[in-house]
Amino acid sequence: MEKEIIALEEEFKQDSHSAITQQDLEALRIKYLGRKSALASLFTRLPTLSKEEKITFGRRLNVLKNQITAALEEKTKGARGSEAPVDLTFPSSDIQRGSLHVLTQVSLELCTIFEKLGFCVTEGTEIEDEWHNFTALNIPLEHPSRDAFDTFYLDIPEGSENCGKFLLRSHTSPSQIRIMHDSKPPLAVISPGRVYRPDQVDASHSFMFHQIEGFAVDTGITFAHLKGVLLHFAREFFSSDVNLRFRPHFFPFTEPSAEVDISCFACSGKRPQTTDQRPKQESQKCSVCKGKGWLEILGCGMIHPNVLTACGISAKKYKGFAFGMGVERPAMLKYGINDIRLFFENDIRFLEQF
Amino acid sequence: MRFSLNFINEFIKVEMPAEKLASSLTMAGMEVEHFEKIGSDWVFDIEVTSNRYDWLSMIGIAREIAACMHKRFIIKYPQIIKKPLIKERAIFIENSKDCPLYIARSIRNVNVKEPPDIIRERIVNCGVNTINNIVDITNYCMLTWGNPLHAFDEDKLEGNIYVRRAKNGERFIGIDDKERVLSCGNLVIADEKKVIALAGVMGAKNTEVSRQTKNIFLEAAIFSPVTIRRSRRLACLDTDSSYRFERKVFGDYLECASMAASNLIEKIAQGTLAGYREAGKKTAHTQKKLTISLSSLQNYLGDTFPKNKVTRILTSLDFKVKTIGVDILKVTVPAFRLDIEREVDIYEEFIRIYGYDNITAKLPFLLEQKPKISNYHFKNELKYFLTTLGLKEIITYSICADKELEKAGFSKPVKLTNPLRLQENALRPSLLLGMMACVRYNINRAQENIRFFELANVYQHKDGSFCEDATLSLGVSLSRDSFSYLKGVVEELLKYLNISSWTLQEKSAPNFTSALSIVAGNQPVGSLGKLDESVKKEFELKEDLFFAQLDISCLLSARRRKLYKAFSPYPVINRDISIAFRYDIKFKEIEKIIRGSQAYIVDLRIVNTYEGKDLPKGYQAFTIRLFYQSSDKTLTSEEVDNLNTQIRNKLLEAEGVILR
Repeated sequence: MEKEIIALEEEFKQDSHSAITQQDLEALRIKYLGRKSALASLFTRLPTLSKEEKITFGRRLNVLKNQITAALEEKTKGARGSEAPVDLTFPSSDIQRGSLHVLTQVSLELCTIFEKLGFCVTEGTEIEDEWHNFTALNIPLEHPSRDAFDTFYLDIPEGSENCGKFLLRSHTSPSQIRIMHDSKPPLAVISPGRVYRPDQVDASHSFMFHQIEGFAVDTGITFAHLKGVLLHFAREFFSSDVNLRFRPHFFPFTEPSAEVDISCFACSGKRPQTTDQRPKQESQKCSVCKGKGWLEILGCGMIHPNVLTACGISAKKYKGFAFGMGVERPAMLKYGINDIRLFFENDIRFLEQF
Repeated sequence: MRFSLNFINEFIKVEMPAEKLASSLTMAGMEVEHFEKIGSDWVFDIEVTSNRYDWLSMIGIAREIAACMHKRFIIKYPQIIKKPLIKERAIFIENSKDCPLYIARSIRNVNVKEPPDIIRERIVNCGVNTINNIVDITNYCMLTWGNPLHAFDEDKLEGNIYVRRAKNGERFIGIDDKERVLSCGNLVIADEKKVIALAGVMGAKNTEVSRQTKNIFLEAAIFSPVTIRRSRRLACLDTDSSYRFERKVFGDYLECASMAASNLIEKIAQGTLAGYREAGKKTAHTQKKLTISLSSLQNYLGDTFPKNKVTRILTSLDFKVKTIGVDILKVTVPAFRLDIEREVDIYEEFIRIYGYDNITAKLPFLLEQKPKISNYHFKNELKYFLTTLGLKEIITYSICADKELEKAGFSKPVKLTNPLRLQENALRPSLLLGMMACVRYNINRAQENIRFFELANVYQHKDGSFCEDATLSLGVSLSRDSFSYLKGVVEELLKYLNISSWTLQEKSAPNFTSALSIVAGNQPVGSLGKLDESVKKEFELKEDLFFAQLDISCLLSARRRKLYKAFSPYPVINRDISIAFRYDIKFKEIEKIIRGSQAYIVDLRIVNTYEGKDLPKGYQAFTIRLFYQSSDKTLTSEEVDNLNTQIRNKLLEAEGVILR
């Protein structure tokens, strides 16, 4: 029996050496500790031995059993978690993620930047009338300044309020008029939404697109505030090191008015080449700003006193600024989207990228 | 508008490089879109905003450049000769509102030929075609002063000249050789017999100056901007002349332009000024004087500026500035600035030259405002919620074709009166068409697993007016179980909004094979269903589409505040029942038997659908998992078995039901 015990000890040592996985260890446990194991059969032979041998071998067998048990426990702790190794090279499951349309994402991001500054968000209606879309905004009916706002008209009979024909708003500014008309300053409002213009569809034009209108009216609002708010927006949205350039412009509803350019965030406007007359190879130019160094992103200004007056706000007491920008353009700039039609085709391969 | 630097140099010496000039003009509001060297000249293409008619002339541009260079600009005016009177014909103006002033000069014995190089180069570089020396001179003078001129072949004029509205149906052949039928919306110049020009827009072919022309009748006039705008739009024309009249022309330069042209014709085409005649009168303009205070200027712009700087800039723009006390400036507006009307206009004039970029940016302290009623945040919340369920948002056009709407059974949509194309001539009363188009687009590109939503407005005529309602649409097309998925999304949405007592009621709906009405309280908030086979075919959809549409404001008003509800701490025990029942039996009836029998069933789900050959014909088979739970004790296994047996027995009693 002595020999058999020693042999068993040796065999276990060797077997346990090569056992690595949980599965191996379970097999080892069955082999050495199971009911049909060699150890168990040795135990069953104990009653046939002499009294002294019973004590000696009984002790020996118990020690061995404890050793094996302890060794197996120790091994089990260190063994790999799973029973069989996983083939990690299998392809992943098809995870179907829900997503917001990239224009919604950009619009939300823009609105949130202004909301954090204390602006609140309200939307106007898309069906508007001439008074809100033009007249109240200091755009006379028969005037060249209306050329910039070609508009779709609708077959809705004119109402009784002398507001003219119904139309699809050509900009989000009429919602500024409605809010100023209906509530008293102080006001700081952002108004996003769809707008419509009879433009032939191509890579950069669409008869439907999105705009964000923003304005603030209070006693102490200044042009410097307009600059501050827009600079904050540009740095939050594009990158912290962009700069703004305010160019004087004309809008009937603001005075002074400006168009705002951001320094190109792709080439940082490091090599503005407006001054260079030799035609550059297209490949040499920055693909985002076409080598100009600046990107036009919005129009703005101090709200024209005529507009405040039209809305029943005292132009003597209050001042305000307003700005309006497209959503498609910043989205295209930010994500390098080169065709406006992609937004409205809703190809899943486009949608799932954002 | 294009201008030539050599041309400008005739009026003011520009001593800065072209690049620098371009950028300083741009930053002063005259945006240079493009500039290039042509021969010895630099040509600038500028955007002239609709308020600055005065930049449509070299004099105006030179004046602006002078201000940018901080130089004083002095104009040399020609000496005006108004004698002798033209005796051959009189000029009659029908309505002085259309044409306050019309002047004419008769120049005899001209030599019509090629223009001298310098004239041709100037006008061509400014984007005007060269014709002959006479026409080119009129254009040269228009470019110089901003006032359009027109030269008629005097020998082709018959009798007196009339400035009048066209008769309806009157015909006009322009110098572009195109015939147009006129109406009373067109203002014309006519003689006794015929129309000789579409006033302010284009001359007629019948009196055009040609190489045979000997005598010239040179027209200069002031026309009403609104009249010219309407007239040229009716005629579908947009000319250098109408462009300027629409934006107003400056009356004071009218004589200068006419006289300068007359002088040049004498000099270059060897003619002789033979007569002058005018009708109407110049509208007298009062000198506009505005009082501004330095402090309000600073309060408006939000920065401080030294008074002498303000004075200097305004003076360089030809404003006369008189200082009264420390703060007050009396500003006299130059007569040619028809766009300056009030204080803020002066502020802009100052700041655009001072430089917008020189104002220090500041953030305002916004005061608390009254909350605005808006469903903006609710809509965003819905959008986020739907993305968590795995749906993708789409944005489709609000404008579609009335023909397509008709095909889908939508009648009398709000229509566009001036559509660009027939494909886009009506506003959609439902989001279905956009969803179908988008699903079709993706299916045709072999995309699968379509789960879309859109949140947009729908529009309808209503009681002589209109309504515009925010609406949610859901579109699902999966390889299997599309309907239960869509129903699940709708139910999750209703649960998420904590809408109390909502139900889904079967109904029949156009476009749908089978449909459910979504009812919250007693109010329908929307519907869902499977798109009808015929609609599917009509709109060329290759796969089934399951569609739902819900009204946002109904959802918002049915929404209830969420309060935590305690759930049972006792375990849930489940039992499966394998069942088959006839196709004519609705699942609703099975569910009624199960739920009706006792209160411990908290939920039931279909875990398996069986399609074996051993099923009797006309039967469908499922495994239904029942979830038992009590709110006040732990149910024992025996209790549950007992309850389950009771349910099985009740099911067996029902006709057309087999337990397996």
